[in-house]
Amino acid sequence: MDSDWMNAPHSTGTSIMAAEFNGGVVIGADTRTTTGAYIANRVTDKLTKVTDHIYCCRSGSAADTQAIADIVSYHLGFHGMELGEEPLVETSAAVFQELCYNYRDSLMAGILVAGWDKRKGGQIYSIPIGGMCVRQNVSIGGSGSSYVYGYVDANYKPGMSKEACVDFVTKTLALAMSRDGSSGGCIRIGVITKDGIERKVILGSAVPKFYED
Amino acid sequence: MTSILCPEIPNAGFSFENCKRNTLLQSKGLSLPKATKTGTTIVGIQIKDGIVLGADTRATEDTTVADKNCEKIHYIAPNIYCCGAGTAADTEMSTQMISSQLALHSLYTNRQVRVCTANMMLKQYLFRYQGYIGAALILGGVDSTGPHLYQIYPHGSTDKLPFTTMGSGSLAAMAVFESRWKPDMEETEGIQLVRDAIAAGIFNDLGSGSNVDICVIRKSGVDYKRTYEEANKKGTRQNSYRYPRGATAVLSTKIQNIEIETTVQHIEPMDTA
Amino acid sequence: MHSVMDSRPFFEDYSVKPMQRQFSPYADNGGSIIAISGNDFVVIGADTRLSSGYSIYTRDQNKLFKLSDTTVLGCSGCWCDTLSLTRILNARMQMYEQEHNKKMSTPACAQMLSTMLYYKRFFPYYISNILVGLDSEGKGCVYSYDPIGHTERSSYRAGGSAGALLQPLLDNQVGMKNMQNVQNEPLTIERAVGILKDTFISAAERDIYTGDSIKINVITKDGIKEDTFELRKD
Repeated sequence: MDSDWMNAPHSTGTSIMAAEFNGGVVIGADTRTTTGAYIANRVTDKLTKVTDHIYCCRSGSAADTQAIADIVSYHLGFHGMELGEEPLVETSAAVFQELCYNYRDSLMAGILVAGWDKRKGGQIYSIPIGGMCVRQNVSIGGSGSSYVYGYVDANYKPGMSKEACVDFVTKTLALAMSRDGSSGGCIRIGVITKDGIERKVILGSAVPKFYED
Repeated sequence: MTSILCPEIPNAGFSFENCKRNTLLQSKGLSLPKATKTGTTIVGIQIKDGIVLGADTRATEDTTVADKNCEKIHYIAPNIYCCGAGTAADTEMSTQMISSQLALHSLYTNRQVRVCTANMMLKQYLFRYQGYIGAALILGGVDSTGPHLYQIYPHGSTDKLPFTTMGSGSLAAMAVFESRWKPDMEETEGIQLVRDAIAAGIFNDLGSGSNVDICVIRKSGVDYKRTYEEANKKGTRQNSYRYPRGATAVLSTKIQNIEIETTVQHIEPMDTA
Repeated sequence: MHSVMDSRPFFEDYSVKPMQRQFSPYADNGGSIIAISGNDFVVIGADTRLSSGYSIYTRDQNKLFKLSDTTVLGCSGCWCDTLSLTRILNARMQMYEQEHNKKMSTPACAQMLSTMLYYKRFFPYYISNILVGLDSEGKGCVYSYDPIGHTERSSYRAGGSAGALLQPLLDNQVGMKNMQNVQNEPLTIERAVGILKDTFISAAERDIYTGDSIKINVITKDGIKEDTFELRKD
């Protein structure tokens, strides 16, 4: 009698993305959270802060990814204090991977770790389900990503300007959201450079359209 | 040090000692008792400098109404309240436990507790039990940083939102919010909107019913309006159902005299001179 | 790659396996029916809520079907089966009238309904039926059925989603069960209708599938009188 949306786990059937440009990284995500067929939150923030210069894009189970992000940000906060400076993006990714790999049987989490540090500049690490960790120049994730691999491969250029990169991420997410039923809503964008993060939201009505009206 | 009068104080946490026995019994065809799931409508909205929480008052056991006027808005702290949907026992106990932990936390830090702290404790507790604690909550309160509203799912995920609904009547209530909620509403307007959302749940969702409870939280204090509105009046009966004297069968009679010993004691009046 | 002991939660969005969905030919649309008979009358009432799961389809659905001037059938359960059954039932009533050049009596109709239900013994109509009317002597009669055609004549009956809740109340108030030193006065129409309404008030309090309003039919030798009564709507 209980419908699926009452008992189904809370999931971020998602489109998430991160891309390097000269000077930092652009991260982006849609804002839809679903329980079964019901949209539980249409303005979700899937770009979660880890430190001032490191963010993660979450996909998979909302509960799992939120718990992981909270734990990692606790560890890195502590690590940062001991270190006396900002932790590296690589370190952050390693902590994420440790958790995702060790608890791979009970977690449902696909995470993109993106940020800027003074050692290697803007970096992106992809940690898909299972707990692998790989550095990429550009990375997409979530259920919506399958629709836009071709678009990303065709249009990503290393060393883009900030504006071009934001435009690329926005368009990629718009395409993913239009094809994937469990992605949608608005687009959240974050630009991480040495100065920290600059965030913006593209409302549902302002999401770019392509050949359709 | 155990005796019949003073049993050993149980260990903290849940007892799983009957799990093995119960799975065995279940495999032999015994159906285990079902927990009361409250088909519910609970809502919360942010208004200008405050939070309004709302709930219906029906508790169901399958298709029968178990409680016609139950309380679904729970106390967390003097400035924080929480609506609960899902398994009745889980919502009740988890809010009680977090409430007591927060009371200690408040004494320890000598500060009013913050809503984000309550949210963090609830989500970590629920995540630990991987959804087996079936509590779907709407947490609202006002602290030093302003009004905050959270939606918490049984698996431990949370969302911070300006307006939210949960339970089986959440779709009916959300329809009201999606059409009429706007930022910075006045208190009277906010209460009316929450009432309408709960009423939508009460009338259109069979799992929700009876009355509307509302709780307004502001910096200046909490206004808990238990039975803000009796959305449904019980019909008036046509006949009288009083039984005539002697209608109940007397099967046997036994009279036993009770002996009472009385002694009269005189008390000297107190010397007040 | 993943081991057999995979205990990860299941997410539709990320599933690659095909999923099988089950179709069920039956639905439970709820609703309750009460019938009480007297010496020269019978009353039947049904609530007007049609629902499924936790939602209400309509608050105004008549579940009483007039089969002849002295026979009324009340149906609750699977509404699509009710529609099929009553359509065939009406056709059979008409055929009988044209073949025999007379109206079918209530006991005959009751027997016919039983055989029609048993005809579908292995794919039953998922309906709780209560048939009321006046017999050949003009006395009120109530027939109740299980979904596959078992039938029983009684003087009062509650059926449908709140049937189990209401039958004991009728046993006590109409059947005068579990009481001593009370006279069993013949039932009047007013008292029967009063009990019927009060019983529905109680049903609406505790059964989520009963509510909104009730339709009442009072059958006497002078015909069928209709009445409605409001219930709570939550």
